[in-house]
Amino acid sequence: MRQVIRAAGEIVLTAGAICLLFIGYLVWGTGVREASAQRQFTSELNRQWRQAPSRGDAIDASPEQFHLTTGEPFAFITIPAFGPHWRFTLIQGTAMAQLDVSPGHVPGTQWPGQVGNFAVAGHRVTAGNPFWSLPSLRAGDLVYIQTKLDNYTYRVIGKKWVAPTDLAVLDPVPDHPGQRPTKRMITLITCDPAWTGTHRVIVTGILIAAVPR
Amino acid sequence: MYGWLWHRLPGTTPARTGTMILIMLAVAAALWFFVFPWASIHLPVDVSGFGG
Repeated sequence: MRQVIRAAGEIVLTAGAICLLFIGYLVWGTGVREASAQRQFTSELNRQWRQAPSRGDAIDASPEQFHLTTGEPFAFITIPAFGPHWRFTLIQGTAMAQLDVSPGHVPGTQWPGQVGNFAVAGHRVTAGNPFWSLPSLRAGDLVYIQTKLDNYTYRVIGKKWVAPTDLAVLDPVPDHPGQRPTKRMITLITCDPAWTGTHRVIVTGILIAAVPR
Repeated sequence: MYGWLWHRLPGTTPARTGTMILIMLAVAAALWFFVFPWASIHLPVDVSGFGG
């Protein structure tokens, strides 16, 4: 009996230690992995952009073309309201494999600067907590997207909470399926409450400036 | 469990202690680099995306 109790105690203690280690991995380990990936994406973009051609006004010129494979970086996102050092790369795709290393462009939605809805999803916690402060964004806050050819500035115009199944927020005209878009929107997505997948915070913005780099 | 393992480790007490620490570090590394990355994808922790 004594041996059974001892074995049970050891199993419980071991399980507890593994749980603590897993929490450490989620809080710290995923951030280390994400930071390493961000450094790699940043140097990759800087290398690709070094000889980027210039062109005329970005809104009037033909739209910038993006031909990306899943997981490929294509832009930087900067949100001054999140602090002076907040900047992440954007990669193509929003499966967990992509979100674990960077905020990602939701496949099937428009690209930066295009008429329609450019949707970006990112982790609220883990992987460097890129969108930890997304729920605190207010109307008027600015979101900068820097691509190979252009710098886009979006102004936040709205925020709401939806169920993960509410895919209408990804429509070219958010929440109006089938409607033809005329505006250039951005939609930022993360989970809420933190550490769960029960709801999504949706921050919507509209393009106010696009200038060549 | 740990007692069983301890009694089967060869060598003196310092040698056993060192072997025990190495075994634990190896298990922790396997968890950190292989099991946890897999588990974090399959557990519903911060599922921020829509679709895939």
